[in-house]
Amino acid sequence: MGETLFLKRKVSEDYSHYDFPILKKVIKMRREDVIAEIKASGLKGRGGAGFPTGLKWELALKEPGDEKYIICNADEGEPGTFKDRFLLENTPLQVMEGIIIAGYAIGANKGYIYIRGEYAKAINIFQDAINHAKEEKLIGDSILDSDFSFDLQLVKGGGAYVCGDETSLINSIEGNRGISRITPPYPIQNGLYGKPSVVNNVETLTAAAEILAQGGKTYANLGTDKSKGTKLVCLSGDVKEPGVYEVEFGAMTLREIIDEFGKGTTGELKFVIPGGVSTAILTDDQLDIPYTYEDIANVGSGLGSGAVVVVSEGHDLLELLQNVSRFFMDETCGTCFPCREGNRRVYHLLKEAVNKGGFTSDDMKLIKDIGKTIYLAARCGLGQTSMCFIGSVLEKYTDELLARR
Amino acid sequence: MNDGRMMEKLHNIQTTYGYIPENEIEKLADEYAMSKTKVYGVISFYSMFHTEPTGKYLIRICNSLSCHLNRSDDVVTGVQEYLGVESGETTEDKKYTLEIVECLGHCGEGPVMMVNDKIYTHVSKAAALKILKECM
Ligand SMILES: Cc1cc2nc3c(=O)[nH]c(=O)nc-3n(C[C@H](O)[C@H](O)[C@H](O)COP(=O)(O)O)c2cc1C
Ligand code: SF4
Ligand code: FES
Repeated sequence: MGETLFLKRKVSEDYSHYDFPILKKVIKMRREDVIAEIKASGLKGRGGAGFPTGLKWELALKEPGDEKYIICNADEGEPGTFKDRFLLENTPLQVMEGIIIAGYAIGANKGYIYIRGEYAKAINIFQDAINHAKEEKLIGDSILDSDFSFDLQLVKGGGAYVCGDETSLINSIEGNRGISRITPPYPIQNGLYGKPSVVNNVETLTAAAEILAQGGKTYANLGTDKSKGTKLVCLSGDVKEPGVYEVEFGAMTLREIIDEFGKGTTGELKFVIPGGVSTAILTDDQLDIPYTYEDIANVGSGLGSGAVVVVSEGHDLLELLQNVSRFFMDETCGTCFPCREGNRRVYHLLKEAVNKGGFTSDDMKLIKDIGKTIYLAARCGLGQTSMCFIGSVLEKYTDELLARR
Repeated sequence: MNDGRMMEKLHNIQTTYGYIPENEIEKLADEYAMSKTKVYGVISFYSMFHTEPTGKYLIRICNSLSCHLNRSDDVVTGVQEYLGVESGETTEDKKYTLEIVECLGHCGEGPVMMVNDKIYTHVSKAAALKILKECM
């Protein structure tokens, strides 16, 4: 089994003359038919939450009002994730085509792409691509001789992971602190500047464009009943060949992804984080499951954004816990007290444990309690998932962690 | 003002001056009809914005999980020792500012380091020190 090239199909092509062939076709279709095609494909959002894309577009199209926005979320910041950067750097015009198509489908004449500020290269490439598209009149008034006008603006993030959350991202585009908003109302009803807005991930929009080129059915024929199509997997950590690989859902197990694409681990495998540091770990005996949303959920974790981080023996578990904990402590936006103080407290408990050479069962209980409190009180996904990794390591390696003392 | 350009303006000011000076904050406050405090609140939310001058070279080293697995700690301690500063600090000669940061999105190529806008991957401690020495 090799890679299934759907999104990566055009990666090596020269883009200088790309003139949006998919958009040319789509712009002659009825908006409802475009959406029907996406619905037929079964595409789900690739930003982590997995909301059905066709349904999101349909709801946005039905919202009253002529001022709507399409926002491409390129704030990729979860440790282990680098697929959106890959797409932005290698297929910028296809990403852009996806944004314009989504704009057309929902009736938005203005789009934003929010790229994290540290992605200097991707930002330059994408800004050049926007300038190119404007010169070629592929963006602007009445594009491709249609009555559809579309403007696209790039916004550079400021280095805050929480801005990847769609409501925080909207606040950030508006020039505010990037803190989350209370939902509902969702951005579909009340988003940027209070107008109906669709926020989609880079990979989602790129897939949507390709779906409209090849047909929703073609896409739906790939994958399983509940996980249609393909997914970009970001393989990193203790593997021999890390990278971005495109996997057809259900066609490979997690172990096969690690062995065939990653060419195996660099040491003896200890555990795998299947969806980035906000998901629970899977141990060696849990890796022979097909790579799908449902199979990974069944074993108590999540596919997240597609970051598969492989961890082999030889690392200090406490240091790993502390590392992930520091990420959430650094990145909490501080609005919800338990997320702000809880993550800080957990970090310090872990640091103390490192200093005194291990855990007591009381420490563990305390960390678990705090984790539960954060989960219950958190307003956004950052807090809700901040303790998934830590909680799962504590649970699966209790004896190892206690035995250290 | 619904122009979605606040972030861009902050980035541009920082590119021009190396940080966001007080008088520019005043101008933004006028332009956007916001209080100065509010503009400052926006700036302080984002880790990439500085309200104090930084060194000529902004050195960022990723220490998130995938890089940690690839021994980014060695690079971090090596650079800290060489520069004699901790994360967030600037060397006395104002040449380098060091920031130990979270994921830079090159997790398959760690350890990862940035010097201003340029990214370096597969960085060892020795390679990092060489890069620093070559900053003129
Ligand atoms: C803390 C946090 C960080 C997030 N980061 C990202 C991100 O970097 N990119 C992204 O597309 N979605 C991210 N999301 C999910 C978005 O809120 C949103 O669900 C997504 O952009 C919707 O696009 P999709 O339906 O195409 O997946 C994040 C969510 C949370 C709570
Ligand atoms: S859960 Fe955490 S990150 Fe999310 S809004 Fe609350 S404090 Fe901010
Ligand atoms: S973890 Fe270091 S670049 Fe992502």
